[in-house]
Amino acid sequence: MMSQKGSAGYVGKRVLRVDAPAKVTGNAVYGIDIELPGMLHGATLRSPYPHADIVEIDTSAALKAPGVRAVVTGKDFPCYFGDMVRDQPFLAVDRVRFVGDPVAAVAAETEAQALEALEKIRVKYRELPAVFDPREAMAEGAPLIHPDFEKYTRNIPASMVPHTNICVSRKFSLGDVEKGFAEADEIFEDSFSAQALSHVTMEPHTAIAQFTPLDGHYTVWSPSDRPQRLHKELADALGLAHTRIRFIVPYVGGSYGGKNTLRAEAIAVALARFTHGRPVKVVFSRAEALTATQTRLAAFMKLTTGVRKDGTFTARRAEIVWDNGAYISNAPGVANRGVLTILGPYRIPNLDLVSRLVYTNKETTGSYRGFGTTQVTWACEVQMDIIAAKLGIDPLTIRLKNAYVEGDAYINGQIMRDVRVKETIEKAGREIKLEKDSTSPSPTRRRGKGIATMLKSTATPTDSFCAIKVDMDGGVTVFSSSSEIGAGEQTMMAQIAADAVGVPLSAVSVPNPDTAITPYDHGVSSSRTTYHMGNCVQQAGRDVRKRLLGIAAEVLATDPERLSLFEGNIIETGVGQRMTLKELLSKKFNNKSGAIFGEGHFTPAGNPVLEAREGLKGISSIFWMFATHAAEVEVDTETGVVKVLNVAAAHDIGRAINPVGCEQQIEGSVILGISNTLFEEFKMENGRILNDSLSDYKLATMEDLPKIVSIFVEAEPDREALAVVKGIGEPAAAATAPAIANAIYNAVGVRIKDLPITPDKVLAALREKDNQKGR
Amino acid sequence: MKISIDIHVNGEQYPAEVEPRTTLLEFLRGTLHLTGTKEGCGLGDCGTCIVLLDGKPVNSCLVLAVDANGRRVTTIEGLAEDGKLHPVQQSFIDNGAVQCGFCTPAMILTTKALLDKNPDPAEGEIKQALGGILCRCGSYQKILNSVQAVGKGERK
Ligand code: FES
Ligand code: FES
Repeated sequence: MMSQKGSAGYVGKRVLRVDAPAKVTGNAVYGIDIELPGMLHGATLRSPYPHADIVEIDTSAALKAPGVRAVVTGKDFPCYFGDMVRDQPFLAVDRVRFVGDPVAAVAAETEAQALEALEKIRVKYRELPAVFDPREAMAEGAPLIHPDFEKYTRNIPASMVPHTNICVSRKFSLGDVEKGFAEADEIFEDSFSAQALSHVTMEPHTAIAQFTPLDGHYTVWSPSDRPQRLHKELADALGLAHTRIRFIVPYVGGSYGGKNTLRAEAIAVALARFTHGRPVKVVFSRAEALTATQTRLAAFMKLTTGVRKDGTFTARRAEIVWDNGAYISNAPGVANRGVLTILGPYRIPNLDLVSRLVYTNKETTGSYRGFGTTQVTWACEVQMDIIAAKLGIDPLTIRLKNAYVEGDAYINGQIMRDVRVKETIEKAGREIKLEKDSTSPSPTRRRGKGIATMLKSTATPTDSFCAIKVDMDGGVTVFSSSSEIGAGEQTMMAQIAADAVGVPLSAVSVPNPDTAITPYDHGVSSSRTTYHMGNCVQQAGRDVRKRLLGIAAEVLATDPERLSLFEGNIIETGVGQRMTLKELLSKKFNNKSGAIFGEGHFTPAGNPVLEAREGLKGISSIFWMFATHAAEVEVDTETGVVKVLNVAAAHDIGRAINPVGCEQQIEGSVILGISNTLFEEFKMENGRILNDSLSDYKLATMEDLPKIVSIFVEAEPDREALAVVKGIGEPAAAATAPAIANAIYNAVGVRIKDLPITPDKVLAALREKDNQKGR
Repeated sequence: MKISIDIHVNGEQYPAEVEPRTTLLEFLRGTLHLTGTKEGCGLGDCGTCIVLLDGKPVNSCLVLAVDANGRRVTTIEGLAEDGKLHPVQQSFIDNGAVQCGFCTPAMILTTKALLDKNPDPAEGEIKQALGGILCRCGSYQKILNSVQAVGKGERK
């Protein structure tokens, strides 16, 4: 285990989470728990129509209702937000574009009063034709959802197809795909789909906003995974200086990509503008969280792949249509990153990729654990199995044959380093004993095994800044805007800071972010935090340590080179322990108080794919994540029910900073993967989501827990941990679905190509298989 | 119309006047400010609001405060004694069962109730007992380990 010379080596150790004591005692204060003096409660009136003009809104009766302090509509607060395209009103202005679009909001003394007042608002709508399937929305003559698209402020290169609902259209090619197909012995053409999904954070979306009329200052309490980005988005939307806005992050009850945009925040901010300084708290109901926040993008994918008899790929053509929903969150990024990983972790010399992101009259979409990679991995890895079966090559061999190796070039020409995909394939396959058939307990309960591999990139380049403070008593505080969303961010930062400064882990505290105090960070997304903020914290820690040793050298009248800091003690070479950090600082500050600061800034090299105007050359991902999952399932051929029995999940993680945290991420993602694969989907009727409760939108529970084995594939031990560390938050969720589907094929010989794999689809496929046999 | 109730929460008596429709969850969070009990749905679907009523786990969003009148309620705030964590709380920390922590209070309380009844439950029993509480972070494996660790005699 590498550790900084002279440190106790917390990095790499199984340490207990620093946030756990607060969480097991109920002392952790989440967004929904906050109460402020004078606090009002907000509620939102939402559109019952998927697409309609607002003819008239009458709020007069609501304004007079008991307890009501403010009612606001889009006319009162005609502002638009959007990280990539500013197309989204805080409250609908003139038009609604999905069932659940916010139309008006009320702030009242109690939540019940706010809800009652909503019923008194009269809205006259004129219905417009709506479109729900992105493939239909692309067609000529489809109702236009944003006729004014051209006028919106955009932070992404314009690639909209004018006068259509296609908001982003992107093509990428490599080599000569026709030539590649000509060289193939077999050409496979398959269509796949992946469904929209809800993040279902157990803590519903919440925000409190306060506006100080005298200085025009907004304070927002928001349990978000990227407070600095929301801060910027809000400042841009309102045309305010950054210093007029402050985001305070409490404990966050989960995000998975679902809390990175202004949802409850937008409503709370709009209301707070009219409550004369009183704070307004907005908590979305579960139904609102399911129907009106954001979902994973549904994707429709067509894959044409040319392969030689020996299993070598010659070419792939891929066409993807992504369902964007009514407004643009960060879906363009998802669509982009998704399509560029549709080759999986394999060498395919000739590519032709087309990706279209299309507006529909549905809930907004955006990042969801995996950022587009989960959808394409699904298609890529199920087709891989189809190819292997047809060519008579076993699933392990065909993957190993094509997998990237160290030094291979990615499709943009970037030479990939730290590629350990083959090891993940071998280890997962070995753990599940893929070469050995499963023993089925009965003819109607069939068991089978399957495997799937994935590759994912991270957002590059992105920035992390932080500061570290050392107080007079030797206590160390890390100021960072990386929220603790549950993935163990604070513990990782504390470990790295303790090692870098040279203090015990218990001396380090990592408060939750506050954008007025904690410096800019791109956010907890794309599995970037451990690498980016980790390196940043290490830099700041080393910086402050250098300062401390400089002070010690002065106080002790010696050469700083002779000094080191270990577990809070100043040690001099050849002399031993000289004093504690606390003694040193009380001397320095004359027994009064004081603090020493260090700073860190980390931005790796790279060219953002999104803004790559000169093609894709350069570095599009500072590290590449690889994972392989192997699953064993049991299919009940009478009911169609699939049960996952075993999952072996091998991840190329570079190095585990906290092995417990890595296991948590991997096990958690496998559960999410199972849930996404077998249970979750929206039932829709005319644009309305019918299953807007957790009794109807089903998630995996503890009773669905299989045996999970997490396997870490790590870099050579002689390299520094933070140089080789990779993300694991997202890759884990991508490989589970195709591994399960491939195991189902192995068990009962049917291919499901559309997610989720529900019992009715399994039964229908079994029936069709029987019919074909009978014919 | 308000109704007088007297609830025993975490060892203290709390006499109060409540609306008949006030749920136990609203009473705990809103009136007593015991926010350790979480609300994930308000409809009985997620289990994050579980508290112990006379030692048994109940979804506090489905129980009326008036129905808890004269009964004993234990919330997560009442589990540690004299500043010492309950063995189940300690086990959740030691075995890495906490991620975002939103489901944690309900998981811990339900585990306590299970172990009070059966100190060494089988795996299936644990899964069934905790199967009504959703954890979107997917900590189920580590929660299971934590319960088994307490069950295996680490419990005082
Ligand atoms: S809040 Fe009570 S079950 Fe969800
Ligand atoms: S730990 Fe996040 S919901 Fe269970």
